[in-house]
Parts: sequence; C-alpha cells; structure tokens
Amino acid sequence: MRVIVDLELCQGHGVCEVEAPEIFRVVDRPGDYPRVEVILEEPPVALRDRLEAAVRHCPNRVISIEPES
Amino acid sequence: MSSTENSSIPFVSGARAPAGHYEEFLANPARFMLRAWQECGELAEFDLGGTRNVLMVGVDAHEAVFRAPDDQLSAAEPYQYMVPVFGEGIQYGAPLEIERQQVKFLTQALRPGPMKEYSRVIAQEVEEFIADWGEEGEKDFYEEFKELVLRTSTHCLMGSDFRAKLTDEFGSLFHDLELAISPAAVVDAHSPDEAFAKRDQARARLQDLLMKTVQERRREGKRHPDMLQTFLEAEYLDGSRLPDELIPGMVVWIMFAGFHTSSNTASWAAVEMARHPENQPGIAREIALVYGPGGDVSFAGLRELPFLDGFLGEVLRLHPPLVTLMRKVMRDFEYKGNVFGTDMTLVISPYVSHRVPDIFPDPEGFNPSRPLHENVFASIPFGGARRKCPGNAFALLQVKAIFCALLSRYRLELVDPPDSYQDVMPSLILRPSEPCRLRYRRIG
Repeated sequence: MRVIVDLELCQGHGVCEVEAPEIFRVVDRPGDYPRVEVILEEPPVALRDRLEAAVRHCPNRVISIEPES
Repeated sequence: MSSTENSSIPFVSGARAPAGHYEEFLANPARFMLRAWQECGELAEFDLGGTRNVLMVGVDAHEAVFRAPDDQLSAAEPYQYMVPVFGEGIQYGAPLEIERQQVKFLTQALRPGPMKEYSRVIAQEVEEFIADWGEEGEKDFYEEFKELVLRTSTHCLMGSDFRAKLTDEFGSLFHDLELAISPAAVVDAHSPDEAFAKRDQARARLQDLLMKTVQERRREGKRHPDMLQTFLEAEYLDGSRLPDELIPGMVVWIMFAGFHTSSNTASWAAVEMARHPENQPGIAREIALVYGPGGDVSFAGLRELPFLDGFLGEVLRLHPPLVTLMRKVMRDFEYKGNVFGTDMTLVISPYVSHRVPDIFPDPEGFNPSRPLHENVFASIPFGGARRKCPGNAFALLQVKAIFCALLSRYRLELVDPPDSYQDVMPSLILRPSEPCRLRYRRIG
C-alpha cells in the first residue's frame, strides 16, 4: 500500500503524526503553515491499522491509501 | 486593479439603489443566498452597498476557491471587521506569516494529547450541568446550550480556576462582541454605531480580565492542562515568544470561533433529535456500546461513534453555523471561463451548497445514514483546505460529549409544531429560532 497526501489541503494538525509516527512527521515551514511530510511512503502491512486511524481522524481528510496494484 | 467583465454571470433580481441587495442580505443572509442560487444557478452576482460579490455554488467552485493561494484570494480582506473584536496583532489583524503561526498555536492546543484532557473536562461539565434536571421537564435548548458551552469552552481554554470564578459578566461581554458582528459591520466596522462602541468597551474589559489570569500564571509558574498553557509556551519560528498582551486576543479569537458555532450546532442537533425521535435509541445504544454501564466518556470513545457522527453531519449540512465564507480577489482569478478581477469578492455558502440535489439527493430530507460524500469539497460546514476551521475536531468532540451524557439518560421531544423551529440569523451565526423549547424525559 502507498500513502497519498493532498498537501494543498494540509494544515499540519499533526493528528496523523500521533497515530502513526513511523509514517508521518509535521514540519514547520518559515512563512507558511506547517505541513505533513510522509517519511514512509510504502508502509508495511503491520502499520495498516495505524495508517487507517490517521486517515480516519485527519481533521482535513487529506490522507488516502492507494492499494497495491 | 483589474475589473471584472463577465456579462454572462446573472445578476440577482431585486437590487435597489444605492445599497443593492444589502437590506435583503441583512434580514437573513441564509435565505438571501438560497434565493440567489435558486434564481441564478451556479454563479450569481449581487451587490452589497456598492461592492461586487459572486456566490459560487458546487464542489468545483469550492475546490477552485479553497485551493487558491492567499495572495490570490484573500480571507483576511473581507474579514477585517473581526480585527476590532479579536484585537490588533491577532489573526487577520496580523501579517500573514504571523497569522499562520498563530493558527499553528491553535492546532498545537488541539492535538490528541490535550484533547484527551478536554474530553474529560467537557464530560464532567455536562454531568454537572444536567445533574439537577430531574425526571422530566421543559427547557429552552438554545439558552441551555449557550450556558453549557460557555462553561465547557472557558474550562478547556482558561483552566479550572478561571472556570470556577466564571461570572455572568464574562458571558455578557462576549454577547456585546457578538452584537457587533452584524452584516452592518461587514460594510463598515468602524462607523459611529452604538453596538461598535459597546464592542470596544467589552473588548477592553476582556483584555483586563484575561490579562489578570495570564499574569497570575506567569507568577505561579506551574503547568496547567488547558489551552492557555499552550499560548504561554508558544514561540514563533524566529524563537520569539507570543507576547503576553496578545494572549487575551488568542482566547477571544477561539471563544468566538468556537462558542456560538458549537452551542448553536448543539441546539439544532437537539431539535433534530426531537424532530426525528426514531434515531434516539440507536444513538443511545451506540453510546452504551462504546462506554458500557458507568463507563467514562473518553477521547478514544468519542471518536468512534459513527451513527452520531452521521447524525451531526446532517445537522451541520442543513444548519451550518456559518452560511457565507468570503474571499476577496487580490489578482485575477479564473473559473470556468470567467475572469474575476480585484473588484470582486467571491462567496461560498455552505448553507446553499449543502442543498444542491446533484450532490445531496433529497436535500431537505434529514437522513443520518447519508454516506459521507467521497468528495472532500462536498460538505463544507468548517470551510476547506488550509483555511478550514482548525477547531473542527474539537467542536465535534464537544457536541458529541454533550449528547453522550444527555441521551444516556433522557429522550427529547418537541414542544412546538415541527416547522416552528426555523433557521434565523440575528447575528452572522445561524441558530434555531426562539423559543427553542424541548421536553426531556428520563428513560427507564
């Protein structure tokens, strides 16, 4: 599976970082809003539940999962 | 400066010189927006006291507007009337790069860690609030929830000491601020108006009241589990601290963004529950499943209530507290073959867009099982993209905590005929009409 984030919609709340710190990290950007950075684009299946929690609880609904093709 | 030339965009009927549609807008913005869309469709131009505005309806319009950068479509420009309310140096009264960092301070205060504490606080406040409600009775749920949300929000924001000392004065100062957020303020927030003079007095008094707590906390030096703590520790990216004298403005900003919007949503939710009582047992069962008998309301539990989420989704779809979201064009903005120039303000209306039948079939029907629309720009009660209300998760958490306590004990019934509960807008925040009477009865 692959993590997709619509960065234009991200406000950097950091909920995903709390749910799945192995996958997401929020970074400050001078002059702009903080924004998420995907540090593990293709996480192992073991992280699936936490990734799904991040998707479900993102206040801006910006994360999606692309299944293995 | 570029002017807009789009002869193809229909102009809403009924404009009268010199104020255009201002009077009709003033009477009820929600109803006016709805009429504009019904008459003109996806794009509708209207005139507010000599200013050009275009209502843009539908998911494509939302996406185009919400994705546009701030230097092209500005949210700060049309909302300058909020500056005297929150204070200079706060939000739209600050430069863009400062405002963005202030939003970050808000999101830091609303992360899952602090939210766990707020869940506990809110649940406790609700329990205390309804402790003396007895077996059954009748109450005005607009008034009740206003008082309850004032208590929960001041507790989460300012901490237990401030909350314990909460007086009627605090609420009435906010009421004075609220009265100045009128369509008249949209046109000129500094005109010689009694409401604006009272606003400035109330804001000055709030500065003193809140500053006292800031100073006490600095002296005391102990950490507290509230939003104020986040602001006391907040640092801009250059390492400088958020100045103490701006902290009251941060508090007023959040109170404003979250107080009436949340309490009005809770009131409408109560009315819809009473209008559609068949949903109440289902919601109560879901709550019981998550908590079990005597279980504590927790953050994790509140996040996993899909039926209640669906119910509140419908409440926010039909009664979004903010009915217009405005953006001033700062440089040419193109949308579907039209070019909007810097003489134009673009208006997105959640109230109207949530009633488009292509997106929400049977739009006036209240359907808590309506699936969440896959397009993230379909349902926009909190706005969208990077200007979305950063408190959206907190707001839902708060309203859910209220109904968890309430529906575990009581069932709600209408007192008046179902259609007598109407959307009204005495200020710019939508609310149910008065009286908002409901009956409650304890369940066996």
